[in-house]
Amino acid sequence: MNPGRPNPRRAGAGFRAAAALALLAGASGAAWASPRLQWDDQGLTEAEASATRELVRTAEARLTPAMRKHLARGIPLRWSTTLDDRVHGRARRDGVLLLNRRLLAGLLTSGDTRTHAGTAAEAALLHELAHLLDRDAPGGSMSRDPRLRDLAGWQVRATPGLTALMGRTRGNHFRERSPDRYELRNPREYVAVNLEHFLLDADYACRRPALHRYFAQRWGVPPIAPARCPADLAYVDAGAAMATGGRLGTLDPERIYQIDYLLAEGNDAMMSRWGHSMLRLVICAPGRPRGPDCRLDLEHHRVLSFRAFVGDVQISGWRGLTGRYPSRLFVLPLDQVIDEYTKVELRGLRSLPLRLERDEVAALVERAAQLHWSYDGRYFFLGNNCAVETYKLLRDGVPRLASAKLGGITPNGLARRLERAGIADGGVLADPARALREGYRFDSMRERFQTLFEVARARAGLPQRRVEDWLDAPPQQRRSWLARTDLKSAAALLVLEEAARRQQQLRVRDTFKRRYLQAGGQGGELGEAAGTLRTLLRETAWMSRPADLLAGTGYGLPQADERALLESGSALRRGQLRDLEQRLDHQIRALLDPAQARDLDAVDANIEWLGAHLRDLHRQAGGLQLNP
Amino acid sequence: MSRLLVASALLVLSIPAFAGSFAGSSAGASSAGSSASSGSSSGDDKVVLQARDDAASFVASEGRIRGARLEAALRHLRERDADAREASDMALAQAILAL
Repeated sequence: MNPGRPNPRRAGAGFRAAAALALLAGASGAAWASPRLQWDDQGLTEAEASATRELVRTAEARLTPAMRKHLARGIPLRWSTTLDDRVHGRARRDGVLLLNRRLLAGLLTSGDTRTHAGTAAEAALLHELAHLLDRDAPGGSMSRDPRLRDLAGWQVRATPGLTALMGRTRGNHFRERSPDRYELRNPREYVAVNLEHFLLDADYACRRPALHRYFAQRWGVPPIAPARCPADLAYVDAGAAMATGGRLGTLDPERIYQIDYLLAEGNDAMMSRWGHSMLRLVICAPGRPRGPDCRLDLEHHRVLSFRAFVGDVQISGWRGLTGRYPSRLFVLPLDQVIDEYTKVELRGLRSLPLRLERDEVAALVERAAQLHWSYDGRYFFLGNNCAVETYKLLRDGVPRLASAKLGGITPNGLARRLERAGIADGGVLADPARALREGYRFDSMRERFQTLFEVARARAGLPQRRVEDWLDAPPQQRRSWLARTDLKSAAALLVLEEAARRQQQLRVRDTFKRRYLQAGGQGGELGEAAGTLRTLLRETAWMSRPADLLAGTGYGLPQADERALLESGSALRRGQLRDLEQRLDHQIRALLDPAQARDLDAVDANIEWLGAHLRDLHRQAGGLQLNP
Repeated sequence: MSRLLVASALLVLSIPAFAGSFAGSSAGASSAGSSASSGSSSGDDKVVLQARDDAASFVASEGRIRGARLEAALRHLRERDADAREASDMALAQAILAL
């Protein structure tokens, strides 16, 4: 079936028209193996009959030789007056193709179909022919092929056992940037809609590259002149730092040396006891040849992380358990991820290189880009958490991995299974010091705290015995001990003072967040700050749904036009964000109670004092001066 | 610009304290965090500034704690600067700390 679409969005129409003209010139020679669409001219006017002939001729010319050969038989075609207005066509079980008679009128008013590549009638005819191709395709029906369902988004469940028991998920969550939402109805319609675009759109190969490869492998390349695809993949950076946040970034598979399975170790919080699964793209700095040296280009590395929102203000544990919050793929700077986990959450990270071929790296990143732009999943604590999402990303991106036994519901379990299958290299952790030095492990700052505190305690004679007691002491009290420090103890206390500041900031934020949620997002005692936060949440929604930035233009991976659009809006969006941030910051400061504000200032002063002290000590010792 | 309390908007919403902010450029009030947030620091500075926690840990622990960010900064400085190539890891870590 093929419903009408009020506003068919198809890109590349100009290309298509040119290509169609070029193609018609040479099409007649292929008549030896062609579908013979048979219709009855009776009841058609001369003009209608001629338009029908032209429609059939143009549509046939769009098919690949393999398709023409496969359909080389008599196929009855009828203009139907009984189809619902919204339905463009139907491929009946008995092999008869029905097209809605209303389309015929459209053909006549728009004139020669050749100058209107991809008219509704042509798309409808190709759509119904695609159903015929799908039904008895050589190698089996495409819509029943597990690989097609992987690519389309009718995904497997957390484990092969569950998938065998319950079948694949019923819904398709790849609903953003769809060329035609009708494709989401079921795999049969998905195949028909996509074959339609495969045959009609010059840039289908750029927008849905994996599906294009799938169809091309089965049926050959369509006659339409292909558009040239960009070598890299666009994404919207979800980084918190304004240096990257909200910016349109690109991922070039050629610059990716390795992909690691990145595991954040668990902590006691219920939602994070099992850790968090991510993938790390080891991207080489510009100009550095792809190789092991790229492992230390940390600032260029990016992390693929499934999260609910860019932030967590809307999240409560219960929602995760009952599946009422989303699961989306974010692209984050590694530097930020390291800070988030090791400094703020005080959790360690393990980074295990995956043994992938070059083409597998490219396919995996391409799949990630598709998810980034199209996927709007649902998070379930057990059934669809980060480990399950990462597992699906790996197996859907790299078909070879689908046969490895990787399914499971915990991030640790996935790490173990990846190692056991020989896909992840756990050997990099064998020597802990080396792992830390080379970035296969990022230790939680908590692991350092006691060591550093011992250094400072011994050298500066601090009274506390435990680092927690030191950090809990009032900052003004800590200040009196700073003057006694030498280089080593000052360095140690600087790290701890930074940690104290983060703890303070977290407390302020948590308090604010709690008050905000308690007030139901309304102002109340929070005054203007609540409104600013509300605006900020609304304004950052696009970070979780980058497709919103391109509402209504194009489908699949963004191409040149859409990229230009994203680029032009980027500076504005980031400027607005920065302004909102600063306003909110002022407003929150004003809400602090005086003691809290005093403590914050005192920690800042301590840090500044230590910085100056370290510079003095360094100068007095005649140390090396860097000029950054 | 004074250092933001909620170092980024998203901080309120979530976690990231990207301010690995050590006080202490000559201007005093600016920091690694705020210069990164204004987008004004070049990539070169960033590698070194991101390494300051690691450098401090390295100096304090007499080289026992040696993280990847320090490693990246050492390589970066030596690729760029002849003096740095001659200097020991400890001398460079101290210099990073004194920036």
